[in-house]
Amino acid sequence: MKRGIVLLGAAALLMSAGARAQAPACGADLAGAQRAESAHYTVAYRTSPAKIAVAGHFSMEIAVCAKAGAPLPDALRIDARMPEHGHGMNYTVTVTPRGRGRFKAAGLMFHMPGRWELAFEVRSGDTPERVIHNITL
Amino acid sequence: MRLASGVAALLGALIATGARADGAPVGGVLVFSKNEIAAIRLHGPWPPALQRDASNRVAGSRKAAEFGAQLFFDARLSTPGNISCATCHIPEVGWSDRRALAAGLEETDRNTKSVLNSRFNRWFGWSGASDSLWAASIRPLLDPREMGGAERQVTAQMRAQPDLDCGYRQAFGKPPPADDETLLVDIGKALAAFQESLVTGRTPFDDFRDVLSRGDRRSAARYPLAAQRGLRLFVGAARCNVCHFGPQFTNGEFDKTGIPVRSASGRFDWGRYDGIKTLLASRFNRLSRHSDDRADDNSISTRHVALTLDAYGAFKVSGLRNVALTAPYMHNGSLASLRDVVTHYSGIDAVKMHIAVPQPHAEPGEPVPARAADSLLRPLNLAPAQIDDMVAFLETLTEKNPLSRRPAPGVAVCPY
Repeated sequence: MKRGIVLLGAAALLMSAGARAQAPACGADLAGAQRAESAHYTVAYRTSPAKIAVAGHFSMEIAVCAKAGAPLPDALRIDARMPEHGHGMNYTVTVTPRGRGRFKAAGLMFHMPGRWELAFEVRSGDTPERVIHNITL
Repeated sequence: MRLASGVAALLGALIATGARADGAPVGGVLVFSKNEIAAIRLHGPWPPALQRDASNRVAGSRKAAEFGAQLFFDARLSTPGNISCATCHIPEVGWSDRRALAAGLEETDRNTKSVLNSRFNRWFGWSGASDSLWAASIRPLLDPREMGGAERQVTAQMRAQPDLDCGYRQAFGKPPPADDETLLVDIGKALAAFQESLVTGRTPFDDFRDVLSRGDRRSAARYPLAAQRGLRLFVGAARCNVCHFGPQFTNGEFDKTGIPVRSASGRFDWGRYDGIKTLLASRFNRLSRHSDDRADDNSISTRHVALTLDAYGAFKVSGLRNVALTAPYMHNGSLASLRDVVTHYSGIDAVKMHIAVPQPHAEPGEPVPARAADSLLRPLNLAPAQIDDMVAFLETLTEKNPLSRRPAPGVAVCPY
């Protein structure tokens, strides 16, 4: 009886591990990626250079993953603001779709130290949804 | 008992490091926190590594720099033949001119910016209307209020004067090109090659920053206490380092400063907003055929710069190295001394920071701003002694033997 319980437990563990293997984290191939979530989407992104420098340009590789039941994203816009200062970036971000929820973004710059609110506006059809991630330099 | 022993251990540690919990000086050095030291370290090291401007094929060329130096002091590049770059960028006064407003053939609406450390800029001039040192060097040649030169007149001089023609050949390895615009750009590139050599030396602040980073308190004590207190304000309560960031003491970008945007001539000076429009319309920007950067690695800022409402009435955040040499200050030269600048920020009127923008200024297709707001600046409300401390700190950003070289009289790349 005791042996049966152990076997059942092991099987449950294996099944759980299997389930995890079937649903890897969003952007699992983006080593060192940061992740942010909204109701319907998870955004994973990796910057280049990896460490964002004040007043230095950086680019991003981005994976947008739809949660269960949510439509796949059609488009992505990116912006950033410093809420405490009341201003945004001095540069416009160019976002290039790479297919299957992947995007590349170029032209970003955080020109001051402090808290930046990085906003990903995910669009599916006419419906935008914002995914916010805070970064403090 | 346990708490008491903890306090005793803390006191022991403080005594061992010479520290005091209230940050007061010990042995002639303030007790800076870890965060303060980290913030101070960001203002170095100095001098920084130099990077070549890929958009200028003669950047780093000794011959081009020598030819550029000759051109910099040569009044023949102006229409009447009596104004040179050095008329406003005077070596002996920090490569500026001590005037409130620059004056070439006529008085302009803006203060002369020093060309020292200009090689580190991303944007040039108070409004950043140029994106390279060579383009910024062409601008005053053609401005009717500065050197007044027509493009053809400047290039005709270059071809007609034997020493200039010879200097060009030495610098570029070929005769001056037939195309006036290309020749004008090359003049700008030689001028830039010279100005790249104008890098400020180490300052008392740099010495303090380095010894403080190493924990060498004995050497750090040579730095005046008033300057230390001013530095603490600069990176702390006053938050000056939000904009005056990094080794150059500037983030290289633009912000509003509470200085009026209406000039003495009655014209509104919208600073960065107009600067971006001028930049993008310029035939000399990094996106033009004149950039030598074939890999196009250095045009990212120009390709992505945004014409936003934040740019209205914003002006370049000046670097502060050798700042004591370049009075008066601000884009219109309206503040006579460093004390006036610190006093201005101490009592800045937050309401004035919300600048009403006249509707007619916006052109079709442009955003129409109701007002350009910025909540970054607020009055510092410094006590008089704190203003003294801040000025004492700013003065230590100036080197003791500033660079003020001129070419020796009669010495040119090709003397005739």
